[in-house]
Amino acid sequence: MSRLHPAKEGAFLAFWRMLRRSLLWGADSILHGHWIKGLLLFSAQAALLSGIILTFPSLMKLPSLGTVPAERIWDPITRRNVWNDYDNSFLILLFGVTGIALIILFVVLCLRRGKASRPPSSLREDAARLLGPDFHKTMLLLPVTGVVLVMVIPLAVMILIAFTNYDRAHLVPTNLLSWISLSNFKQLTDLASGGAFAYAFPRVLGWTLTWAVTATLSCYIGGTLLAMLINRRSTRWKPFWRTCFMAAMAVPQFVSLLLMRNLFADVGIVNTLLKGWGVTDWLYRIGAIPTAGHIPFLTHPGWARGMILAINLWVGIPWQMLVATGVLLNIPRELTEAARIDGAGALQVFRRITLPYLLHITGPSLISGMVTNINNFNVIWLLTRDIYVTTDQQMAAAGATEVDLLVTWLYRLTQDQSNYKMASVIGILVFAVCSAITLTAFTRLTRDGKEAAFR
Amino acid sequence: MKKILLSGLLLVLLTGCTPRTTEGNTVPHLRVWVGDNADVAWMEQVVRDFRAANPNQAYEIQIGVQNEGDAARVILADVESAADVFTFADDQLPDLLLGGALMPLQEDAADVLNRNTPESVSAASGPDGQLYAYPATADNGYFLFYNRSLITPEDAGSFEGLLARAAQNGRRIAFPMANGWYLYSFFRGAGLEMRLSDDGVTNLCTWNATDAPISGAEVLSALLDIARHPGFVSADSDAFVAGIKDGSIIAGVSGTWNAAVAAQVWGEDYAAAKLPTFRVGERDVQMASFSGFKLVGVNPYSRNAGAALDLANFMTGYEAQLDRFRLRRQGPSNVAALASAEVQTEPAIAAISAQAPYADVQRVGSKYWDAAASLGKIIASGNPEQLPLQTLLDNAVAGITAPAGQ
Repeated sequence: MSRLHPAKEGAFLAFWRMLRRSLLWGADSILHGHWIKGLLLFSAQAALLSGIILTFPSLMKLPSLGTVPAERIWDPITRRNVWNDYDNSFLILLFGVTGIALIILFVVLCLRRGKASRPPSSLREDAARLLGPDFHKTMLLLPVTGVVLVMVIPLAVMILIAFTNYDRAHLVPTNLLSWISLSNFKQLTDLASGGAFAYAFPRVLGWTLTWAVTATLSCYIGGTLLAMLINRRSTRWKPFWRTCFMAAMAVPQFVSLLLMRNLFADVGIVNTLLKGWGVTDWLYRIGAIPTAGHIPFLTHPGWARGMILAINLWVGIPWQMLVATGVLLNIPRELTEAARIDGAGALQVFRRITLPYLLHITGPSLISGMVTNINNFNVIWLLTRDIYVTTDQQMAAAGATEVDLLVTWLYRLTQDQSNYKMASVIGILVFAVCSAITLTAFTRLTRDGKEAAFR
Repeated sequence: MKKILLSGLLLVLLTGCTPRTTEGNTVPHLRVWVGDNADVAWMEQVVRDFRAANPNQAYEIQIGVQNEGDAARVILADVESAADVFTFADDQLPDLLLGGALMPLQEDAADVLNRNTPESVSAASGPDGQLYAYPATADNGYFLFYNRSLITPEDAGSFEGLLARAAQNGRRIAFPMANGWYLYSFFRGAGLEMRLSDDGVTNLCTWNATDAPISGAEVLSALLDIARHPGFVSADSDAFVAGIKDGSIIAGVSGTWNAAVAAQVWGEDYAAAKLPTFRVGERDVQMASFSGFKLVGVNPYSRNAGAALDLANFMTGYEAQLDRFRLRRQGPSNVAALASAEVQTEPAIAAISAQAPYADVQRVGSKYWDAAASLGKIIASGNPEQLPLQTLLDNAVAGITAPAGQ
């Protein structure tokens, strides 16, 4: 096979070359004598194509999510079950989505290869490039593949479940799923319908946002004040105090939270002590608590919410103290000293220098802290699981309680009721809320500019 | 060029169409889930006996632990790769059937039917009347414990007697009001119904009935009287144990899992009995209850369903149940094992037998629990918002009977 002379290439040949490059991946390399690279490219193409072929049956069944229900026949002679070749709707979803991803990847790669005009490089040149100027591509290949495989594809499947009837009455593989378009979303957002989900959703969302804002701000303020207190010049044994609070952070969260849960249980130590001292009876007499005999720390809506926020201070403040300490130590001393020489008081220094500096540095972490708190499963779940029972009957009908965050509600729905479709809808809405907050806040932060934030 | 094309195609074919491996082994591999770490020693003994009983057949058996109360959730998450044989609490049978995770019994169905108590057999049966699991224990229900030094057996016969005696002594009678599993006993006792409907998913509930011989509102009113009585405390399992230990609780309703604590603290004065009656208007109504059984099921997706059935049958037989009682104090469902002298002397088992005529097999859809717990909590706190009783019941019934996906 002789090499084609460029001069003889007509429009048809140029087209043919483009086609060859994009559809027969290794061909050009082999024509240029790069055999190994050519074979590698061919095998990559083959692997991709076989992936597409393997997932193609699922892709074709994606519109119906399968039509063949599982059927079992008992064979009394072999004493084994014989199953028909049934459709598993969940696998159809999973492989169908994977197939779409593979097809997109294949088309994109084909188009990119078709556009390339340089003669193909050798494997050695490629290696030099990937270890030199294109080193970021080499390094990112593995994490990106990982993210696509364990995050993007499962996420797409989970999102699609929100549009199916995947619940307790439709469990795979024994039952087939089907698409039900937006009716799950309507169930949650159609407030006029009077349904339990439509009743519970705004309430759970409201508490989730209240919790996120209050928990984030209280820990932020508390941690900063604590750091400033320890950092005061007149405070002695600074490292000792810091270590004390660090110890609270070093204990795993679930240990300290379960401990708190036991301390504040209806029959816990705190209640026993307060009852012994007569505090409980006094509170009951003046009408501060609705229950005789114990303070419903974690079992009454108002008390439980307050306690959750308070206990969260315990786990959240030390961490914020650490962050604030780092930032405070970095405030240029000239600034504060100059301010003092100019006659500024402690409060003025705090308002004009310390606070803006702190906000400027920790602003983004404040936002991420808020998003973390929206999904703060641990605190709520570990403190209230099994012991908090709601007296709001409509909340109960939706499987929610007053102290549930969207994420704990979602967990209850999947674990207790196998209600995967509604859990998926809630998951999508949590994602929407989090991304809305993050986007707005970050846009504002960057728009203000760094100079403006730290005057 | 053609060669390259061909080799490319060949590669596609080779990678795309590798033949699947077929099952050719003759040694069945079985995975068994028992309910608790403490059951493993018992199961190892059962496996040894099972091998000895089948000398001509080799088995590869792997024992795992999966809590019985949670088995359905784990199995239904991925039926195709769940254990071949598993232990579960009988309330999960409808869910497991919905998910197609139970193999109907084959050759040994008639034998299982004959050798176990009728209640345990009905707990292991599907709505079609077929047996879907092997009964393993029959002591998972609840009953009354009391301290004999302060309460006479006569007092223990009625809630009113118990409460009066407790108030007189400045002590309490405990009942887990804010828990649907126990709350059921009052309404069912008064003749109102709550059970899984024929679709196997939703519940049927008549607790808000106004035309029944005893209306739902009458029952609720009686329950509020109990809850407001100075001798009453609504206590979950932890609070019950704490109350027994500090002496504030002298009687209460719970199950075998708390019997050891009561027996230890009260010593000679520990007594167990069937549930008491309670007063509705002018009538004394016997409290009903949920019975509870542990069952052994076989996964229909098992590659060795026949061998799995054999093992499940063996691990719920007379010998295995008696061993289980000796090692774990769990009450047998096997008629012969239940009749043995050593089993009959256990007070908890005697109490469960006394309660048995008033006990129902638990067939409840998942929507029941939160709605019933909420109603129970309102009762326990004495209906603080003073809502009309009928409204409370209507709300509860709406929640209990809601479709599964809502």
